Amino acid sequence: MEQLLQAFFSGILSGGIYALISVGLTLIFGVVGLVNFAHGEFLMLSMYIAYWLYYFTQLEPYETLLINLIIMATVGYIVFKVIMTRVLDADHSVQMLLTLGLSMVLQNLALMLFKADYRNVRTNITTDVINAGFLNLSTARVMAFAVAIAASVALYLFLQKTYTGTAMRAVAQHGRAARLMGINIKKIYGQAFVIGTVLVGLAGVLMSPIYAVFPTIGSNFSTLAFIVVVLGGLSSVPGAILGGLLIGVVESMAGYLLGPVYQQAAYFLLFILVLIFKPSGLFGRE
Amino acid sequence: MIKTFLKRQNAVLWIIAVASIALPLLTDNRYYQDIIIMTFLWTGLAASWNLYSGYCARLSIGHAAFLGIGAYAAALLYTNYGISPWVGMIAGGLLAGLVALVIGGSTLRLKGTFFVLATIAFAKIAETFAITAKWITGGSLGVLIPYAPGFINMTWQSKIPYAVLAWVYMLAILAVCVKVEHSRLGYFLRAVGEDREAAENLGVNASKIMLTAFVMSAVFTAFGGSIMAMYVMYIEPTSLMSMTNSVQFILLAIAGGLGTAFGPLAGAYVLVPLTNLMRGNFPSVSGLHGLLLGLILIAVLLYRSSGILPALKGFFEKRRKGDMG
Repeated sequence: MEQLLQAFFSGILSGGIYALISVGLTLIFGVVGLVNFAHGEFLMLSMYIAYWLYYFTQLEPYETLLINLIIMATVGYIVFKVIMTRVLDADHSVQMLLTLGLSMVLQNLALMLFKADYRNVRTNITTDVINAGFLNLSTARVMAFAVAIAASVALYLFLQKTYTGTAMRAVAQHGRAARLMGINIKKIYGQAFVIGTVLVGLAGVLMSPIYAVFPTIGSNFSTLAFIVVVLGGLSSVPGAILGGLLIGVVESMAGYLLGPVYQQAAYFLLFILVLIFKPSGLFGRE
Repeated sequence: MIKTFLKRQNAVLWIIAVASIALPLLTDNRYYQDIIIMTFLWTGLAASWNLYSGYCARLSIGHAAFLGIGAYAAALLYTNYGISPWVGMIAGGLLAGLVALVIGGSTLRLKGTFFVLATIAFAKIAETFAITAKWITGGSLGVLIPYAPGFINMTWQSKIPYAVLAWVYMLAILAVCVKVEHSRLGYFLRAVGEDREAAENLGVNASKIMLTAFVMSAVFTAFGGSIMAMYVMYIEPTSLMSMTNSVQFILLAIAGGLGTAFGPLAGAYVLVPLTNLMRGNFPSVSGLHGLLLGLILIAVLLYRSSGILPALKGFFEKRRKGDMG
């Protein structure tokens, strides 16, 4: 029973990170209408930045957070300006293939530059553990969970309360109508893309004390994020948060009850079932 | 006028396809022979992919799974039970067709984006299955196919028979594609690809048409997978069913010309030798192959989204007009 609870809570903690990765993807999909297959590679990039900053300065990834996020914002802006603006009106398949191409380029570039080695950030926080009764929770994971949930909720509030956020929701609902209302949709697209990239960058920083970074780490998490986004109803931020937590728990429980090899299989199965029976997502509105 | 030109272009491409069997005979270099075999194989594979995704204009990013089914069927039946790979190839095709029937039956009605995501999930599940179901597939270690030359074992010492086999495979798929292109199925497929609702209103049974093409595409891909497994003599699940392989199908087809029978030939004949030669010349740089595929994919999409063949066609048409004027 205690082990079951332990598995449940570590699932929740991982779920927080999945949620943060997924809200960025949701934002980009919902507002820009882009299925961004390179999202996972942005995560990988941020983790490498965190690693190299740690390697050269020996600072905790949290301490170099700001530098990391500024680099990620710049990357997001350049990718949007140079590549994405050209295909905003193109067919969905073209957009998907383009981001897929981008993901291959980034992944293989990382492989060429950094080799396939696993690189770990090893600071005090990586081994710290919080004891809460019978539960043993790694400090880095608790920290990541707290920040991830806070950031996801902040994004939600931003979309609900601010002018730009409202404009983003308007564009997500109906692009042409939003343009008629005088919203500069290209600018909104760019902002949403950059915010989404910064959010996944934040996830990368939070993950760097927990997971080793290697060139293909992004692809593991991006398929997972896609599943979360579909479960969450495609363009809903609360849906993505709940979906992230759900996938975290499903993965952890399947690992505990059936064995670690079934972790992936469990959530892919869940994904296919949802696609077939409720393609609007578990938490979708329709 | 354009019609006669198209006919002639197809004739020229047929001649190129048939005549290219001379290539592996012209060289003794096994490295070049290997590239030629891979070019033949990938032409057939990309044409198989094109049969559904190209004509229907619906993207499958999961075809590496069908490749894997064909490869595993032939390799496992042969390695574990001594069943001839020729039989294994048929079995793999049947299995892939059955899987496509189930997967297609439940996902083909999904809207564009969802369908694409479902195909990715399908490939991931197939890969996960190959790795976890150790008692069937040998897990992540893969399958090492024993070397026992002989026609019945689809194994030869020389590379020439493999080249002939891959060439026959390529020609067969191309023939089917040309046949389909000028059949009711082909016209219906393109109609559904252009506007599904309009096609349905005109009485086309879109689901049935799409499912037929999807199953055909899966079966032909699996045949290619069996040949590839027997040629390479080793199966490794993660690279066989990787995203990179799934993307290779797409890249070759769209680089050549989506939804044209000979587009995949044009794409594969240019890109497979190019990427393989690059990889061969810089063997120490891992990731170069994937990087190239990605860059070419981006370039094709941004600058020549119609592909090599249509671009050539446009070029010739312009010249002909120039001649007349």
